Amino acid sequence: MLQLVVGQLLNGVIVGTLYAIIALGVTLTFGITGIVNFALGAFMMLGAYFTWYLTDGLHVPYPLAVPLAVAAIALLGLVVDQVLFRFTRNNLINGLIVSIGLISVIVAFVLMVWSTTPQNMEYVLPGVFRIGGVIVPKMKAVVFVVLLVVILATYAALTRTWAGRAAYAFAQNPEAAALMGVRTKVLQAGVAAYSTALAGLGGALYASLYSITPEIGGSYILKGVEAAILAGIGSVMGSFAGGIIIGVAEGVGSIFLPSAYNDAYGLVFLVLILLFKPAGLFGRSS
Amino acid sequence: MECHIDADMVLTYRENRETHGEAMKITTRRLQHFALSLALAASSAAAFAQGVVKIGEIEAQTGALNTYGWMGSQGMRMAVDEINKAGGFQVAGKSYKLELLNPDTQGNPQQALIQLKKMLEEDKVRFVFGPFLTNVYKGIEGYARQHSKDFLLMGGATQIHYELGKPGNEYLIRTWNWDAGASGFGTQMVDYLKKKGAKKVAMLMQNDAFGHVAADIYREAFKAAGIEFKENWFEPATKDYSAVLAKISADKPDYLFPGYTDAVLYDIVQQATQLGLTKFWLVRGSLGPALKNKDYIDDYIAYIPKYFEEAEKNEPKVKKFIDAYKAFYKKDFPYDQAPLCSSSCYDHVFMLVEAMKKAGTVDDVAKVKQALLSFTYEGLWNVRYDKTGEEVINFDIVDVTKGGKITVNHQQPK
Repeated sequence: MLQLVVGQLLNGVIVGTLYAIIALGVTLTFGITGIVNFALGAFMMLGAYFTWYLTDGLHVPYPLAVPLAVAAIALLGLVVDQVLFRFTRNNLINGLIVSIGLISVIVAFVLMVWSTTPQNMEYVLPGVFRIGGVIVPKMKAVVFVVLLVVILATYAALTRTWAGRAAYAFAQNPEAAALMGVRTKVLQAGVAAYSTALAGLGGALYASLYSITPEIGGSYILKGVEAAILAGIGSVMGSFAGGIIIGVAEGVGSIFLPSAYNDAYGLVFLVLILLFKPAGLFGRSS
Repeated sequence: MECHIDADMVLTYRENRETHGEAMKITTRRLQHFALSLALAASSAAAFAQGVVKIGEIEAQTGALNTYGWMGSQGMRMAVDEINKAGGFQVAGKSYKLELLNPDTQGNPQQALIQLKKMLEEDKVRFVFGPFLTNVYKGIEGYARQHSKDFLLMGGATQIHYELGKPGNEYLIRTWNWDAGASGFGTQMVDYLKKKGAKKVAMLMQNDAFGHVAADIYREAFKAAGIEFKENWFEPATKDYSAVLAKISADKPDYLFPGYTDAVLYDIVQQATQLGLTKFWLVRGSLGPALKNKDYIDDYIAYIPKYFEEAEKNEPKVKKFIDAYKAFYKKDFPYDQAPLCSSSCYDHVFMLVEAMKKAGTVDDVAKVKQALLSFTYEGLWNVRYDKTGEEVINFDIVDVTKGGKITVNHQQPK
């Protein structure tokens, strides 16, 4: 039993980083543009399809396919931001409507091009690590390390670079930030593109672990938003912790409780935390 | 078709006669033209004598749920085209052609209902194929029952199985074989597993309507076969099965009976092999997951209505169908989707035509249904319907072992 619990703790942490990368995109977009971009799940799905197509269709090596797919998604995110989301800044409802419409367009595009047939990328790194009876697939370990590095690098960039501090300043007081010389439009567009790039990265890594279908974005954006709320929207490291809490709750919960309802276990955590800390684990009450 | 007689030719003929009062001078070319016109006129008359039987289809050809409707619609178009190009068919001395009305439901029950209403009320269709999806069937069921004596609905939906034979459901025929019962493919699949020496099977199934139907069927089938059966469930949108698979692995089953769609099977098979579960037995889903993980599995037993890759080499009708598909659609043959042509597809159109011939009518649906239930059609499959109106077909149990070695076991239910 101990092996089972430890195995699922590890697995929950790894799966949780996938939720965390989406949560990070959600929290950054919300902090800077004032909208919750539900289309990040669709961008994640698109990142997975691009990566699969580059590796299995065009035979691009996976380590090269990932940055190519992420760059393509970032560019797409920038275009979409300038064409659509630019007009919804700080308007939650309009942003929500545009993002929902965008999900339909992206999903329809994928259905049209690649159909509903599940796609499966050739294994990038088969095999498992066995640590004292606990089994961890090698690729999952790699995905965890890559996502952890990206999340930590994002945190470092936000706290230790001028652009990062400008973003924080803008999130706290847009007018003051503009008066201090922050190019707000460039900052907003940059953060929107970076958030979609994070979602694209999540998708690119996801494709190496699981089969892909046009619907995968739906459940991941929900988990991402769930993790962001659990942490308290606006907290970068909180998003990371939120993703991991949900991943671990699902994994360990499935051992002791019926696995048929494992999506609910993360939600139970969310409700419990919001009951006692309405601003989320790392959020500050206004 | 249009009757065409050259007016210039007639006028020239008259002018020549009236002006010159001598024998007509008609060129050879004009004589040929005249003969051709007469032939066209004659064929037009024949065409008017040929009737048209409209058949409908309500299936999801696109959209997220098109997996089970797409192949049926592909095969149905081919069958109608082949029948019509061969000159149609004769029923009670009259020649008929088929007209196919096959709008795309996109898996949407409301769309399907609108389409069915149009078919029955405006187009006067009496034979409708589909749907394969139970949610779509539930959407049209109430309306269809109101017209139970006016048409035949020939679909593969699971729910139709439970409706067959009930009063007011005379319109129903189920074009997909059922798991349980003496003729059920599931019963023979369980027998096959028993022969392989399995003592304990762990099911890991979607926690949805069909998942529970499957559990109800196979709980009984395994009990009857003396095989221990453990049930495990997962959320339909799950992608990571590590936790539940780790639990199952600790229980050491002989075989894992995973979900019912490829969308989940690829992930389950991959993740299960990582945890040491290497033997699989499934009643729905393709061989794709086995072939992708061929170096990690020990055994993968799957129900496949027809293993086309092998049948193409041994069955001339299958080879002809595959060649015809490539010529008709000008694209590669979908080997992975083709087994689904065992429901409301190519054979079923030919079978309906045979039934109309036997019944001597294209209008009396009761007689046509009676005829449909009276014979076996030998097409891509040997198709017959049992007394309740449910399809019984021959099928394959395909066994894939380590390294990708495939053994095909042909089954012919009694």
